Order: sequence, then C-alpha cells, then structure tokens
Amino acid sequence: MAKTYDYLFKLLLIGDSGVGKTCILFRFSEDAFNTTFISTIGIDFKIRTIELDNKKIKLQIWDTAGQERFRTITTAYYRGAMGIMLVYDITQEKSFENIKNWIRNIEENASADVEKMLLGNKCELHDKRQVSKERGEQLAIEYGIKFMETSAKASINVEEAFLTLASDIKAKTEKRMEANNPPKGGHQLKTLDSRTKDSWLSRCSLL
Amino acid sequence: MDFQNRNNTANKFVCPSDRQLALRAKLRAGWSSSKTSEPLRPEEQEAIISVIRRNEEIEIAERQRVGRLVERVEKIKQHAVERGPNCCRLCGDTFGLLRPHRIICEDCRQSVCTKCSVDINIRYHTSERTREIWLCRICSETREMWKKSGAWFFKGLPRYDTPRSASANATPAPTPTPGGMASMAGDTRSEHSCHGTPTRTARVKKLTIRVNDSSSSSGPSEPEDEVDGGGGSGRVGGAKGSAVGRLQREDSFRLRAYGSIRSFIDGGERKLSNSFFFGRQQSHRLSECTDYDSVSLSNGSAVAQIRRESSSLRRGSVSSSWSISESSGSGNSGTHSQSQSQVQSQSQSQYAQSQQQHCRDPLLGWLEIAISYRESFHSLDCTMVRARDLPAMDASGLTDPYCKLNIITPEALTKYTRWQRTRTVHKTRNPEFNETLQFVGVEPEELGNSLLYVALFDDDKYGHDFLGAAKVCLSTVHSTSQYRISVPLGVEDQYSNAAEIAQEWPNGKILISLCYNTKRRALVVNVKQCINLMAMDNNGSSDPFVKLQLKPDAHKNKKHKTSVKWRTLNPIYNEEFYFEASPHDLNKEMLIVTVWDKDLGKSNDFLGSVQLGAQSKGERLQQWHDCIRLPDHFHEKWHCLAPDNPAH
Repeated sequence: MAKTYDYLFKLLLIGDSGVGKTCILFRFSEDAFNTTFISTIGIDFKIRTIELDNKKIKLQIWDTAGQERFRTITTAYYRGAMGIMLVYDITQEKSFENIKNWIRNIEENASADVEKMLLGNKCELHDKRQVSKERGEQLAIEYGIKFMETSAKASINVEEAFLTLASDIKAKTEKRMEANNPPKGGHQLKTLDSRTKDSWLSRCSLL
Repeated sequence: MDFQNRNNTANKFVCPSDRQLALRAKLRAGWSSSKTSEPLRPEEQEAIISVIRRNEEIEIAERQRVGRLVERVEKIKQHAVERGPNCCRLCGDTFGLLRPHRIICEDCRQSVCTKCSVDINIRYHTSERTREIWLCRICSETREMWKKSGAWFFKGLPRYDTPRSASANATPAPTPTPGGMASMAGDTRSEHSCHGTPTRTARVKKLTIRVNDSSSSSGPSEPEDEVDGGGGSGRVGGAKGSAVGRLQREDSFRLRAYGSIRSFIDGGERKLSNSFFFGRQQSHRLSECTDYDSVSLSNGSAVAQIRRESSSLRRGSVSSSWSISESSGSGNSGTHSQSQSQVQSQSQSQYAQSQQQHCRDPLLGWLEIAISYRESFHSLDCTMVRARDLPAMDASGLTDPYCKLNIITPEALTKYTRWQRTRTVHKTRNPEFNETLQFVGVEPEELGNSLLYVALFDDDKYGHDFLGAAKVCLSTVHSTSQYRISVPLGVEDQYSNAAEIAQEWPNGKILISLCYNTKRRALVVNVKQCINLMAMDNNGSSDPFVKLQLKPDAHKNKKHKTSVKWRTLNPIYNEEFYFEASPHDLNKEMLIVTVWDKDLGKSNDFLGSVQLGAQSKGERLQQWHDCIRLPDHFHEKWHCLAPDNPAH
C-alpha cells in the first residue's frame, strides 16, 4: 500500500509564460533550480506530502503552461483545484498587469471556494525590478488574498508560500465542517437515516 | 493601453487584455477559443497524455482512499441499530438517571450516549465555546469523511472505489483522449453518487432485500386479532410470510457468507455482534416466531392446534424442505416461550418491533439431530449428526465446533448438572459429529414436557465462543422409532450461558481494554484486573504481574509488564501501555498476554495466557477488529486464561 495521507489538496499554478511557475514548483518539490528555460507543454504536476498539525497532507500541484495555445487544456484543470497560486514576474510589468485577467479567468472557471494566493517571483533580481512590493501587496488586498514575494532561484519564500496556502485550505475545511453545517448535498445515506427515523416515530405514536 | 494591447495580440505568450476579453465574451466563445491555435504536435500530445496517465494513477489511489473512508463510516452505520428511544443508537446502552447520559446529536437529532458521541468543540479545538455541540459517532465520522475526501469542497463525495472492488478496478483506465480531459481533471463532483462499481450495486440490492424482509416479517405480527378469532388462514399466511422472509434473509446471508475473507469478516462480525448485542438477538429470534408467540399467548386452544400442526409437519418433513422444517423449529421455540413470563414477551415484542427496521441475518446455521428413547433403560440417545452453515469464528472463515447437551425440565431448569459434550470437529463450518450421547434416567412421563437443549460452541483454548443453540421438544419422541429432525440454530439465552459457565476455567480471567490511539499512532493496552488466578505460593496466594508483548517483535522492544501485586488472586492493575504501530500493522500482529507469579530467588511461575490478534478467534478476534475499526475508543473484554505458555 502506498503512503497514507489524511488529505489530498490539488493546487494550481497560473500566470504568464516565463514568470517561473515551473521553477517554483521544481524548487518546492525537488528543492532544485534549473536555469534553462523549457516551456511547459500543456500541463504537468508534482506531488509532495507535507505535515500540518500532525496531519499528512498530500499536495498535488498542477503546473500549467502560460502559453495561450494550451489554454483549453489548462482551464480544464481549474475546476478541480482547491488552491490557486497566481504568479507574476517582478521584472516584467506586463505579467503583473495580466494578473487581473488571470483572476477573471479563475472566476470563470474555478470553484467559488477556491483559495487564492499571489506570488511575485524572481525577487532576487533587485536591479531589474519593475513592480514594487507595495503594488503587489496593494493588488492582493484589493482581491482579498495573500501575497508573497518569492524566488525560486534563491529559494526565498517558496516553501512558505505553499505551506501557507495548504494551511489556509485546511483551516477552511475545518471551518466548513466544524461549525453548524452538517454535510449536505447528495448524501444518500443521510436521507435514508432520516427516513427510518420518521417511520420509527410514526410507529411510536401508534403504540 | 488598448493601443498597446492591439499591437501585442501577436504575442501569444501574453494574457489578453480586458477589452479583448470583453469582446470575446460577446462571442460566447471564452477567452481561449478565439485564437486560431495550431493543433498540438504529436510529441506534445504524447507529453500531455503521459501526464494524464500519471494523474490517473493518483486518482485511483485517491478513489481507493475515499472508498476506505466511506467504508469506515458504513461499518459504523451497520452497527447502529434502532432499539428504542431510551437506548443509545450505537451501543444500545439504556439511558438512566445517572450514568449513560443522553445526548442528542446535532446533525441527525438522534439520542446517543456520551461514549458514542463527540463534543465537536473539543474535537476541532474551537476557541469560542459558546455551547456544547455534540455529534454522534456516525455524524462525526461522516463529517470527518467529508473533510478528508474533499467532499466539502466539491459539494459531494468524489468518485470512490470501495476496497472490495479495488482489485477489479486495478487495471488502468482507458487511454485518455484530449477531448476527455475535462472530465478527468475535475468534474468529480457530478458523479459522486452513481459510480457504478459492481459492489456498490450489490450492496444496494442487499439493502432492498432487507427492506422486503422487514416488511414481510412485520406483516404477520399485526393481524393478531384475526388469528385470535380462530382464523386459520391468517396464521398460515403469517407462517408463510415469515418463511419467505427467512428464505430471503438466508439468501442475503449466503450472498455475503461465501466470499473472500473480507466478506467472512462481515459474517463473523454479524455473529459476533450477535453475542455482543444481546438485546438484538433476543429480538431477532422473536421476530421470527412472533406469529407463534402471539397466538400461543392469546389463545390456549390454538396452542395445541399449532403444536399438533407443527408436529405433523415435522414428521412429514424430516429434512427434505427447509422452509417446512424451519417452521417446525420455530414452532418449538414458540411452545417453549409459552412457559416464559408475559413481561418478558412484552419487552420482546418491543424488540421485535425495533428489529423490523434493521433486520439482520439471524440464521446461525442448522443442526441435524436423531433422537431415540429406550423405555427399558429409561435412556434417551441423542445423536448429533451434523451441523451446517455455522458462523465463522477465525480469520480464515472456519470454526472448531462442538455441542453441549442437556435436558430442560418443565420448571425451566436443567435436569443434569453435568452437560454432555461431543468431541470437537476442527476447522469446518459444516461439521459431521455423528456422535451419540446418552441421557440415563429420563422417565417416560418426563418426555412429554421436556426439551432437549443443544448449544454449539467454538473450541478455543482461550475461551469458548457461542455459535448457536437449538431446543427440541421431546413430546414427539417415541420408543418405537428413531426421530430425526433438522433444526435451525437460534441465539444465546440463559441456558447457553449456563452451559458456558459449567465450563471450568481454572486459570482465571483477565479484563483487558484495547484502544487504538490515532494521535499517537499507538495501540493502548489497559490491563485492568484479573480474577480467580491460581495460587502458586505456599501461603495459598500468588504475587501476580502481567507481561505484554506485541508479536512479531523483531527488536524485542515491544514488551511491557505491569507492577507486581503482592499476595492476591484478584489483582487490580489499571495500568496502561503504549505499543507504537500503524493500524495496518495491527492486522498482522498478535498481542500476547501472560500472567506470572513473582517469586524472589527463583524463576517466576506461569499463571495463564491469552492471545489477542488477527489470528485469534471469537471474542478475542472481535475485540481486536473493533479496536482497529473504531479507533480512539476503549474496547473492554474479559478473557479466560489458558494454562499453556505461548512462549514454549
């Protein structure tokens, strides 16, 4: 039997082509970095299991191609994602401006409950910086999501970003299920239970 | 900005602008479709398909994991039985003023006891404890399942494979095509309920059988008044109804009984839980013969009629048709229960009512007996011919059955203090006993109103577990011919307990409580106390202590022992020990408990042993399974100590 885990979270990385999504994922899953640029073909994913509050969480992180020609494929994977990382390149103004398009894309295609996070990648390149940290923070506040500046090359904040997103999802899970919301929806067994209860009560009144 | 963007449209690598998006929205074609995108090259397709294949593997593992979660909840549900408003829905404890405190579950609004419920404020460490919110174990486990499976996110359970079907689905899914990707990616939520694995449908089928069953058995109990008026048709109809119900039940029993080990566990569990939930068994037997009972209690003359009828049936049938011999069997128990007090029958009918909703497979097997009476010697020869379809008692689905016999007098007492027993037939559920036991000193007058009582037990050195019991009315036994009958085995009652007590356990008993702690990932063994240990020292007492070892123990470090209690034969320890192990490992491990007498200056004396684990049998196996299946709860049981040392 494979390693057991308590939760499986599916995460998604999106952002313009060349912002470093694959590198971030490579850093997180293998703790390594590759300088050669190989454009992702369509989609790819990596697995890493982390532990939060004594719970084993398996993260399946989908890496998408930023290129438009793969968009049909990549958008198909939005729906299953519980968390989405929006990545831009701090040395590329354009990629930052496009974030709001990506957010719109999420709103169109992903679940409403999806947990989002904004990452400004390549923060080790101070001298080429085009987008200030404040602007990134401002945008994140605007959308009510968390923000971090990361560097896959220098291994800054990559681990933290994923752990934050995972713990946010986990917190959401707990909040959903702990409060006074019993699981609802097409829960077949549940309805069966209540039916037997009714019939039992009616029997009781007959007695 | 617009201008800039228009120049940029040639750049496919950049996300389109607001304006472009707005225009595309009008085309209702979405963001991505406007590009005359070149088709994927073959190598790109291959790369994508390989990713999808990898994903498929993960999905299969995930489906199996969710399946296990679902099954876990289902198992707990199977244990829940409606017993009445004053009983815990899960464990059946009756609520009293003092101890089992009644709690209403937040989700299902049913009453459960504190033991079977969780305060979710504690469970989820909520900071603001405004009020207590309690959930019964079913609902809390359901919530947990929704959390862990991601159902909370997808608003429904994702696709899952139950472990049983896992092997069937092990082959990889059909090769995905780019067109089918969307459904693979995330549309799990649409298909949650009707994932058509074969077992799933099979289970549904089983459920419907049960429903039919309960309705058919509820039928005969209702028209009590009609029968009272002497309407023979009502009774016949009732008898037929129960026979049909029984046959259906038997079918569903067979469905499960003959299968893999897994289905054995189901079967074993059912039987084990039978001896565990005593109340339910009672009810069970009652629902079978309700029609007879109610008639015999309400109308004396009808009793005689039934008796005559059933006996004539019996004589005609021998063992050719199950349904007929079955009705004769329940006829027997019906006439017998006539002598029982009315109060009991009332409570039983209550049970029977609650039983109708959760009818379980009641049949514990069949026993074929041949009885003859020799008037000249005043002796009754009872030949245990064979038994069939006995409940399984060990992990391989087998049993080591033997019979214990006694005669029950009209005063409902056992005639002989010593129970006669057959030899044990090993490793079978269909034993051929072919053994004749003789009761000497049975007067001919006695025959008319006595019963032969046969209880079957599973032979095991650590305690004999009840398999089933049958009562045979001796009024039809004549000196002239041998009387053969095949009777269904019923559930435990006061006589079978008496039979078991008659068994001597010179080594005493031990009370052990097991719990699997999921937080610490450890098996918690609480050694509570021992009674009636053997005296080993000159002073007529012992200085007992208990050693525990979880085997296989490669590094010799899974060992613990309790403190020594000086000069006592009934020591109380209440000591807890932790054995680190995963639930998966526990399925292969065995806890060996040995009791020793501490001697200073010479080697310790052995007092007794018991083994708990997946290889053990009966109640010990049940406790082990319970402990794995329902973690974080203590499962407590008395065990008899065997005189042999497992280390030797």
